[in-house]
Amino acid sequence: MRKRALLGAGVLVLGLAGVLAAGRRTAARQAAPADSLTAPSLARGDTARLLGPRQPIFFRHDIHAGQFKIPCQYCHYSVAIASEPGIPSVETCMGCHLVISGSDSGGKAEIRKLRQYWAERDSVGKPRLAWVRVHSLARHAHFPHQRHIKVMGPNACQSCHGDVVRMPQVRLVNRVNAMGFCVTCHLDRKVNRDCSACHY
Amino acid sequence: MSDLSSMDRRRFLTVLGVTGGGAAVLSGCSTEQVEKLVPYLVQSEDQVPGIPTWYASTCTDCPAGCGLHVKTREGRAIKLEGNPEHPVNAGKLCAHGQSSLQELYNPARLRGPMRRQGGGFTAITWDEAIALLAEKLNEHRGRVAAISGAGRGTFSDLLADWVGAAGGSVVRYRPFDFEPIRAASRLVFGVDEVPLYDFAAAKYIVSFGADFLENWLSPVEHQRGFAASHGYHDGAMAKHVMFAPRMSLTGMNADEWLPLRPGTEAVVALAMANVILSERALAPNDANQLRGPLARYTPEVAHRESGITAETIIRVAREFASAQPGLAVAGGIAAQHRGAVEVAAAVHLLNYVAGNVGRTVRFGAEPDTGDGYGALLGLVRAMEQGQVGLLLVHEANPVYSVPQRSGLAAALAKVPFKVSTALVLDETAAQCDLLLPGRHPLERWDDLRPRRGVVGLMQPVMEPVFGTVATGDVLLRAAARAGGALARFTAPSYEAHLRSQWAALARSQGAQDADAFWRAALARGGVYSAVPATPVRLAPTAVQVGYAAPALAGPEGAETFVLLASPSVMGDGRFANRPWLLELSDPVTKITWHPWVEVHPEVAARLDLREGEIVRLTSPHGTVELPAYLYPGIHPEVVSVPLGFGHTSYGDYASGRGVNVLDLLDARDGKGFLPYLSTRVTLAKTGGWKQLAKTEGNPRQLGRGIADALTLDQARKGLTPALAREAEGHPEHEVNTESEVEAIQGFHERQVEKRTKGDYAAEHPRWGMAIDLAKCTGCSACVTACYAENNIPWVGESEVLRGREMTWMRIERYWEGGEDGEPLEARFVPMLCQHCDAAPCEPVCPVFAAYHTVDGLNGQVYNRCVGTRYCANNCPYKVRYFNWFAYDRRAFVEPFNLQLNPDVTVRARGVMEKCTFCIQRIRAAQHQARLEDRPLRDGEFTTACAQACPSDAIVFGNVTDPESRVSKLKQNHRGYHVFEDLNVRPAVTYLAKVRHRSEA
Repeated sequence: MRKRALLGAGVLVLGLAGVLAAGRRTAARQAAPADSLTAPSLARGDTARLLGPRQPIFFRHDIHAGQFKIPCQYCHYSVAIASEPGIPSVETCMGCHLVISGSDSGGKAEIRKLRQYWAERDSVGKPRLAWVRVHSLARHAHFPHQRHIKVMGPNACQSCHGDVVRMPQVRLVNRVNAMGFCVTCHLDRKVNRDCSACHY
Repeated sequence: MSDLSSMDRRRFLTVLGVTGGGAAVLSGCSTEQVEKLVPYLVQSEDQVPGIPTWYASTCTDCPAGCGLHVKTREGRAIKLEGNPEHPVNAGKLCAHGQSSLQELYNPARLRGPMRRQGGGFTAITWDEAIALLAEKLNEHRGRVAAISGAGRGTFSDLLADWVGAAGGSVVRYRPFDFEPIRAASRLVFGVDEVPLYDFAAAKYIVSFGADFLENWLSPVEHQRGFAASHGYHDGAMAKHVMFAPRMSLTGMNADEWLPLRPGTEAVVALAMANVILSERALAPNDANQLRGPLARYTPEVAHRESGITAETIIRVAREFASAQPGLAVAGGIAAQHRGAVEVAAAVHLLNYVAGNVGRTVRFGAEPDTGDGYGALLGLVRAMEQGQVGLLLVHEANPVYSVPQRSGLAAALAKVPFKVSTALVLDETAAQCDLLLPGRHPLERWDDLRPRRGVVGLMQPVMEPVFGTVATGDVLLRAAARAGGALARFTAPSYEAHLRSQWAALARSQGAQDADAFWRAALARGGVYSAVPATPVRLAPTAVQVGYAAPALAGPEGAETFVLLASPSVMGDGRFANRPWLLELSDPVTKITWHPWVEVHPEVAARLDLREGEIVRLTSPHGTVELPAYLYPGIHPEVVSVPLGFGHTSYGDYASGRGVNVLDLLDARDGKGFLPYLSTRVTLAKTGGWKQLAKTEGNPRQLGRGIADALTLDQARKGLTPALAREAEGHPEHEVNTESEVEAIQGFHERQVEKRTKGDYAAEHPRWGMAIDLAKCTGCSACVTACYAENNIPWVGESEVLRGREMTWMRIERYWEGGEDGEPLEARFVPMLCQHCDAAPCEPVCPVFAAYHTVDGLNGQVYNRCVGTRYCANNCPYKVRYFNWFAYDRRAFVEPFNLQLNPDVTVRARGVMEKCTFCIQRIRAAQHQARLEDRPLRDGEFTTACAQACPSDAIVFGNVTDPESRVSKLKQNHRGYHVFEDLNVRPAVTYLAKVRHRSEA
């Protein structure tokens, strides 16, 4: 039941976003200001220069979260309630990509890969969609995502993860695994600096 | 999820890719390899990463059938806790139940079906295995039998039907059965059942050998009740007297342990009944017919037989009769001799004449006890005579758990085709022809009816660890394939069969909607209802109850000893492959990992035996060699050896650990039960010696005041332990001079002042703990809970011998008395990090890894620790443990690692670790409260040890909240701190034990 609702909602959100973005795209093409949220069209050669690891599917946060303004939590569903942000299931992707097939050849190819994972979901020895982890915290530190979202709001992701909405390929911007990065912020905000807040 | 294969060149380049390509990233904490994140294809609706999902289930480790709450994270079961709604255990769980996870994740588990080919086993597919089973079923139709250790429930019903259809019968056998009590009920009351015992209502408890806190009937339930009645509150507590030749854990919790000669319990119970009957008019009228038969058993006769003085028997009988209601219990494996039915019958009579039957002894619930040893021996005879063609062994290991003398192994050899569903290749499975490894109860659907009024459900809480199939499904699939009379089993799966049974149950309980009934039962862990007690009267046969001196095989003479086979932490041997339990020190001897023989110190002096000397025990049936442990808590005519060790095939953890004491026993049927106490042995020195892997330091307190106690009088007067000592003429030893006291005072003031500065200025909770020693029984459930919660590695026997065990929480056991005619007394102290306000470990850490948190914890930052071990040297409580050899890698081999708690760091080599007061639980509760914009509520979470404690002896909470349970307990006059005079100001307050001794 819930699954079907998810699919429906996904199609709806994407449809709306698509309509909005389509309108804006024409405008963007004319003006193209420097910090526009319109995701650039990338040629194959361009992608080689991008920082960050190449993922099994060339998923573009700049298109999804930037241009189409899909809220982070639409996919990273548990970030406000749990310590883990939640990696969206293939089903979540398919909620939209059942109907959205991409606008250029590159995008179409990537969406075909996604659909392949979905199509083979029940097969024996199905391929695993294995994303390469970009932000990895040492095992002796605990980072409760939900507390940070609670205090800093639903769009606080970029404080640590960088301006993901403009990243065609996610890369490490801040050294989240270096304690100084955490402590600087905690000092600035005059919040808990107790070791055992994170280390246990 | 992370890929841990070795790093090659390509992988190294990928790391550079991940980290953005730069040398800077390789400094600091960037030793990790590339991690892969594999998302769900279809997200399970009840799994949210980072949030535990709980499932209700039922424990099958003993016949009690406690309810479970299974904590799962990311699809793996990581912790078992009691189900608070369950009538048997009410949210608590023993060490055995906790360690069930180590059966689930045991590396010795069979990966799939196998068949015997030549000398060994060959892996086959499930289809082949079921085809083979069906073929053999048809071949041996009419000559099928099964031995099953499964409890009463849908599976056992199905198995009985199935074997019946195939032409045969099932013997439901568990080694620790309670057949003598059932036989005694038939004899005395004419009812064929074991009663339920209400320890909570009893004001005076007399045990005749029954180890009701350990392995007897329903230990968690008993312990809850025992703590409720025997724990001191409002000036009152029940008294517990135990007659037994050996002081077991239950005996150590007795206010009086009265060592009698083995096998003479019945005469003492009869003499007590005689005294009560002749002195008091408590008994129902029909008890008068007992006057004549009981008149023979005077206290003097009992004294001659048992060695207990007549005065003691009369005193205990009078105290027992005047405390209303009382409760007498009998049985226990260690006391199960040929006259065990008479003992149980005598105690039934004792309860009857004291008016306890119907009050603390209730019939009508019919707890599950299986078919008994007699039925098993019947099957062995049938197998010997070639009447069995196909034998199915399910959840039983009779080749190990029945003495060799029974001839079971030889009889098995005469069965042409033997099938085992064991999870691990145990001794019985090793003799079978087809292995169909079943599923662990946490991986399958099932139910259990441990007693009337309780139906517990089990549900798969995770994907099976290995490619095993539930035995219920195997039965159904094989039946479909075999056809014939078996064709009537048409359910498509065992789950469907179970659902149809539950639909019938729903109808019988008057539920309109069977699905809603099922879902509600699943959420609550089962269906529970109160069962009224059925009144019983004396049966005509009751007058036949008598006493006969125990018949014991073996040589008589001066230097022969009665052999007690005592149940230990290993139970009947089924727990011997669980490292948590192997490393859990025995509550009595504090020995880990290996068996021993307990010898009385006087006997040892006579034989010139020292601790650890290897002794050869010889009975008419066999010989074993064991290291000696000198134990004052044992009758000098007796030696005791723990059961459950000496496996030859049960995985690497169990195999080759000492000897199986059953090899010394007579195996003849003692009227439907195995007489564990039936042989005399001789002792001979071998010249060998073995250092016992004990975890104790000094067995005596030496006046250090670690485990304090008050007499009942002192407790009623509201004395503190210090005042009580002063009243006894032992005033507090003045350790400090006046100037020192002043200095300490100044130090304290500075400490308090510091607590108002910087981060410490804000309002914070202060975490503290209170442990009531009047309730603690030393059962060690807390220790195993701590291992499970905190990813504590076990270190193995050789490391324990070097004192390197990692028990963040341990139970210290101290002996009192036992010399100069003073009775021997045991005291237990759960010892964990005391989270001292002025902790001595903190100032000596050169890297600030040990420090004080703002909420009053003694923090330990693993990533700061450089392993100087100064803190451990400076800790007066010895609660800091050093990880010498990457114990985590040795211990958590695949698939044990699946059990690890993701909220707790797995400590690496070279790091000091210790109790954190379950800081991960504190933080999780704080996160949740913050999300909901509310303060923490007292009792909304607790530590793993406090959660598990069946006695509720441990209470954890915020001490700045004057309304919290822990704050109130800390005000109790019985409260004291261990090593108070060191001025370290511990956060753990102990409440002194209360001793209920008669001044006689």
